[in-house]
Amino acid sequence: MDKLIVCRCEEVDLDTLVEHARQYDCSARELKLRTRAGMGYCGGRTCRTSIDALLCHLTGSAAGDELPLKVQPPVRPVSLSTLGGRLES
Amino acid sequence: MNIQAERHAQVAVIGGGIIGCAAAYYIARSGLDCILLEKGDIASGTSSRCEGNISAVDKDPGFDSQMSMISQQLARELTKELDLSFEYNAKGSLLVCETETEMAAATQWVDRQNAAGLSFRMLDRADIRQESPYFADDLLGGLACATDALINPYLFCYALIDKAQQHGLRVYPRAGVTAIARLSAARSPSARVPDFRIETTAGTFTARQVVNAAGVWAPFIGQMLGISIPITPRKGHIIVGARQQPVIERNVMEFGYLINKFGGTRQVDPDTEKHGVALVLEPVESRNFLIGSSRQFVGYDSRIDLQVVQTMARRALRFFPKLADFNLIRTYTGMRPWTADHLPIVSAVDEVPGFYIAAGHEGDGISLATVTGKLIAQMLHGQADTIIPTAPLRYDRFAGQAGKGAESDGQADRVQV
Repeated sequence: MDKLIVCRCEEVDLDTLVEHARQYDCSARELKLRTRAGMGYCGGRTCRTSIDALLCHLTGSAAGDELPLKVQPPVRPVSLSTLGGRLES
Repeated sequence: MNIQAERHAQVAVIGGGIIGCAAAYYIARSGLDCILLEKGDIASGTSSRCEGNISAVDKDPGFDSQMSMISQQLARELTKELDLSFEYNAKGSLLVCETETEMAAATQWVDRQNAAGLSFRMLDRADIRQESPYFADDLLGGLACATDALINPYLFCYALIDKAQQHGLRVYPRAGVTAIARLSAARSPSARVPDFRIETTAGTFTARQVVNAAGVWAPFIGQMLGISIPITPRKGHIIVGARQQPVIERNVMEFGYLINKFGGTRQVDPDTEKHGVALVLEPVESRNFLIGSSRQFVGYDSRIDLQVVQTMARRALRFFPKLADFNLIRTYTGMRPWTADHLPIVSAVDEVPGFYIAAGHEGDGISLATVTGKLIAQMLHGQADTIIPTAPLRYDRFAGQAGKGAESDGQADRVQV
């Protein structure tokens, strides 16, 4: 298995995550910003727990000890017109 | 007790946002021994909760816009100096107008900017259509600034730190400052005794000079040394749109953004007025796009206010009705460090020799980071001939003024810097 994809939306593979986590000894949030894992269309709903588990495995600290990955509204994608509440035709 | 060895440097920069990172970079590059103290992660505050404009288009013509122009030159140089990419994209930017009054004001804006040596031009209706097929048909035109650039602010911070470390910078994340004491009042100037002792959640540090680059948290650092810094948090919301079709190739703002920023009166609905909403749409390298903007004084409350987000979405639809079906995936807020005259404080503090402030950039922190960082490095070296004049940025221009009301009072014990 050459590339094990962890974040499907942004196509970030396991090797990239491990490499960045080792090189920068960083929090889940920083790992997300550096690799874009968890920043895609699903808002990290698919890969967030995998990333936390990976960091836990690499650093030995509990997931989310420092700066956990957050869930940002609106959680699921909504259209601009839905959010803008445009009712007129 | 965990007793840590004291760590010492010539310069301690407090704050790992874009201003602190740029300051640390230019300080380390100039050969000074420097440490950077950050309460969370690098770029974990305002600098990862913003947009990425290095823009002159929205700067007051003259000193303000020239600061941006110098920043743009420095950013261009950094694309060669730094090893890591920061998604630099120098395609210029646009302002669009919806009324004849705005078009007239835009014409004046262009004339004044060109007179100040910048590169601006007016756009008509047809020009605007060329920029994006999604614009509303009734927009009258606007203006373009040729030198504006986009960057990814947090990647820029990482890139600056990475290179600064090669110049000897030592970075301490998760080192929130809890107390600062100035030690040297009674000592002889030649003694090799540190001037400042800085207590943090990661132990004690000492330094000869301190740069307060703590952004909206800068007043709390000031309080620790008995000085009042009139910076007030101003909250801004941003919406992230998912990549679908390319919307536009460069950043666009509505002309009303200028009016919001500088405090004029607009012809808009009450919610847009109340939440300080003005359209900004920024394309980013991931092919997502960012929608701004809002401006609110609500203390340090960073919760997302859905009413504000809805007002912003409505405003975006006014300028981009054809984006109605585009999906939005995320919203976030950032606290912008506001000052009363819309200029940052980049200055020594006479009352506390050796203590410098580089903060208060409101929404211009990304735009002015490089010029600020370079200026602070020059100040630390005592250089007289600085990259820009320092008088308009002096701390003492606010003598006797506090921040905007209660936000900057009484929270020092609750907010850890």
